[in-house]
Amino acid sequence: MILSQSTFLTIGLQHYLMLAAFMFVCGLLTMMVKRNAIGILMGVELVLNAANVNLVAFNKFSYATSGGQPLLTGQIFAIFVIVLAAAEASVALAIFLNYYNNFSTIDVERARSLKG
Amino acid sequence: MPLPALLLILATLLPLVSFVILMFMGKRMGNPLAGYVGTSMIGGSFICSILAMIFWLGGGKYQDGIHGRLLDYGAGIGPINLPMRWVPVGSGIAQDHPGYLDVGVFVDSLTILMFAMITLVATLVHVFSIAYMHEDKRFPRFFTYLGLFCFSMLGLVIGGTALHLFIFWELVGLCSYLLIGFWYEKKSASNAAIKAFVTNRVGDFGFLIGFGILFYHVGNVSLPNLWALLGSAGNGHPITLPGGVVFSTTMLTVMGIGLFFGAVGKSAQFPLHVWLPDAMEGPTPVSALIHAATMVAAGVYLVGRIFPILTPDARLFIAIIGLVTLTMAALIAVAQSDIKKVLAFSTLSQLGYMIMAMGIGSWVGALFHLITHAFFKALLFLGSGSVIHAAHHEQEMPQYGGLLRKIPVTGITFGIAVLAIAGTPLMSGFFSKDLILHHAAAFATLATEEGRSKYYWLFFIVPTIIAYVTAFYMTRCWMLTFWGKPRNQHLYDHAHESPVLYVPLCVLAFFSIFGGYYVVPQFLKNSIIEAKSYVQRTDPQFSGFDQAWPIAATESGSAAEGTDEKKPVAHAHISASEEAFEKSESHVARFTSFLFYGFVGGIGSGFLLYRNGYSIATKLHSTKPLGWIHTWLYRRMYFDELYSAVFVAIVMGLSRFLAFFDKYVVDGIVNLAGWSVKGASSFAGLTDKYVVDGAVNGMATLSQGLGSIVRAPQTGRVRMYVTVLMVAVALGLAGAIIVVLSH
Repeated sequence: MILSQSTFLTIGLQHYLMLAAFMFVCGLLTMMVKRNAIGILMGVELVLNAANVNLVAFNKFSYATSGGQPLLTGQIFAIFVIVLAAAEASVALAIFLNYYNNFSTIDVERARSLKG
Repeated sequence: MPLPALLLILATLLPLVSFVILMFMGKRMGNPLAGYVGTSMIGGSFICSILAMIFWLGGGKYQDGIHGRLLDYGAGIGPINLPMRWVPVGSGIAQDHPGYLDVGVFVDSLTILMFAMITLVATLVHVFSIAYMHEDKRFPRFFTYLGLFCFSMLGLVIGGTALHLFIFWELVGLCSYLLIGFWYEKKSASNAAIKAFVTNRVGDFGFLIGFGILFYHVGNVSLPNLWALLGSAGNGHPITLPGGVVFSTTMLTVMGIGLFFGAVGKSAQFPLHVWLPDAMEGPTPVSALIHAATMVAAGVYLVGRIFPILTPDARLFIAIIGLVTLTMAALIAVAQSDIKKVLAFSTLSQLGYMIMAMGIGSWVGALFHLITHAFFKALLFLGSGSVIHAAHHEQEMPQYGGLLRKIPVTGITFGIAVLAIAGTPLMSGFFSKDLILHHAAAFATLATEEGRSKYYWLFFIVPTIIAYVTAFYMTRCWMLTFWGKPRNQHLYDHAHESPVLYVPLCVLAFFSIFGGYYVVPQFLKNSIIEAKSYVQRTDPQFSGFDQAWPIAATESGSAAEGTDEKKPVAHAHISASEEAFEKSESHVARFTSFLFYGFVGGIGSGFLLYRNGYSIATKLHSTKPLGWIHTWLYRRMYFDELYSAVFVAIVMGLSRFLAFFDKYVVDGIVNLAGWSVKGASSFAGLTDKYVVDGAVNGMATLSQGLGSIVRAPQTGRVRMYVTVLMVAVALGLAGAIIVVLSH
């Protein structure tokens, strides 16, 4: 309660959102600037986890209940996203392996196959 | 099927078997074997023919195919008539089975006789050919063709309907073409073959016209039924057919002359005689078999078969053609220097005798002469073949002389044939030619007694004179070849003969001497009786082959007008002709003796004139008019030149005109069309190039431009995409915020 009463120490929704925004931007910037494919994957993970933080935070601060029991939709959704991220990571890593086989590198600048 | 017919069919098919065997295996069999196969097959035919003759003399009964009745056959009893249905072609008006193109077998004494003669001569010619063609590189093919020819010729003789005759008629023409052109490397031989074929086509066209008229009126009935239907044509009256259709005299005459034109082509009568001398380009055995003994006689045989349906006018026409041919050919033969050409013109002349005999109504005389002529002319040709073989294929008589010492058997047998054709008494040729002249005299006598033109005597006088000429030119031929001093010493020294060559000559010499006694005329008379016995079942008026002379018929025909038609006709022409014939016997006795001295004169003058080779003849040629006549005759009266000047020139002119027309008019039109199409298409091409292609290319350029604009942002760089995506989302969000806030 002490903690919650101190404005300085009180961690509210804004903090979560700011953390999430920060993580999101970090992830985004990582995706934009990293030439290493693994790095880009890391950026993607950051973006997804930023979204997860948002989901959990929103669920925590919405106080939604059903029949007296708190609803955990956000958390469940976050778990889904984590599972999704794992699946996505495995697909992405498989792509990178092939990519490495073809180009002997994982520098995404070297791949121009998508050029129209 | 009755035994004689069966044997004759077997005899017909054996050469076909030989043809088929040699066609497929001849080359493998090689030089002598192919000849043995062909010879044994035709020898088998000969044996079958002789057996058929024996059974024929025995006679018997057979089932008539159409009416199912049991009929007698045999020598002097009745013929065997077995028509077979072949192609149904609508309906005709015949009483036999109408509307069918039938073939079939007809056997009477004449058929038996022809079979015996043809197979005998053919067998001898085959034997002769084995030696004569020994060195030829196409030896097996020669026997292949001979087999086909023998099959065709026998098929022709056994034929029981006009169509059947015509089919085999064409087949023998084909064989003649193949064998004349056997040495086709020689341009002259190949030309002669074509000439023979084309000339025969002209005649066959006439035959087809005649057959067409015949078929239209009565259909293609078997021979005796044809005689029964049209047997009264000799009266010169229109014939009312069973269906009620009237067959007019004009049509009958046209039909007769049309059918006769086939014979004109095949028997090489004036004006289609030009092919036969050229046909001598073929191997000599072929000349003996086809162009002397059998095929050329087929024309006479045909006229003999259709004899009862010829009108008086048609018969007169036939007689005139025969008369012209026999005169012309005999005169030309006098001046020829090539031994085979002499024989060729002699054949023409003798065929002229036969045709003329047919025309004046001497059926027996014509066919009798056909048989005897076949023997002695085959002998002459084979003899000339032996001479040519001895002389290393030299055919010009100026190169011969004195060959009797070197090739005595050939010389003697050739001499026998010369005596036979000259009509020396007691030889075969005497009886047959004498019979023809005999009947010609009767014919002329009858004409005179009926108050006809005196010119009918030409039918007797001219052949009699020509009989002297025949004796003369044949003696000349023999003298120049076998007598006197050798004119070519080298050729003389190398001359020789062999038994294979002269054994056939001896056999033929036997028949040339004895062929005129009893058997042949008896067979022919039997044939007449058989035809009568068959036809008179349905047509009691039928008088058959010994029917009236045409003149008598015409006379009685015109006398009968207005009165009862049938009785006077039947009375007048048969009895009148017989009476006239009997009356003429006294004249005939005188003419016969006249003839006898004539033969002596002909042979004697020939002997005297040529006893020293050409020395006297050369002197005679130097006197002007005789020299001119000689040249005229030597060049065959310029018939070839005349034909090439008239017919060939017309055809060539026409073809040149057509070529010109083709080149400038037809080609012009085609070229114009081509040119205009070309112009139109070049215009269309321009349109295509600039309008259609322009549109398509424009579209392509447009899409390409658009595409290059659109593809510019597609850099393929993933980071770029992410950046753009972010910027776009950010801008979108910013826009959305602005829009929301501005409200």
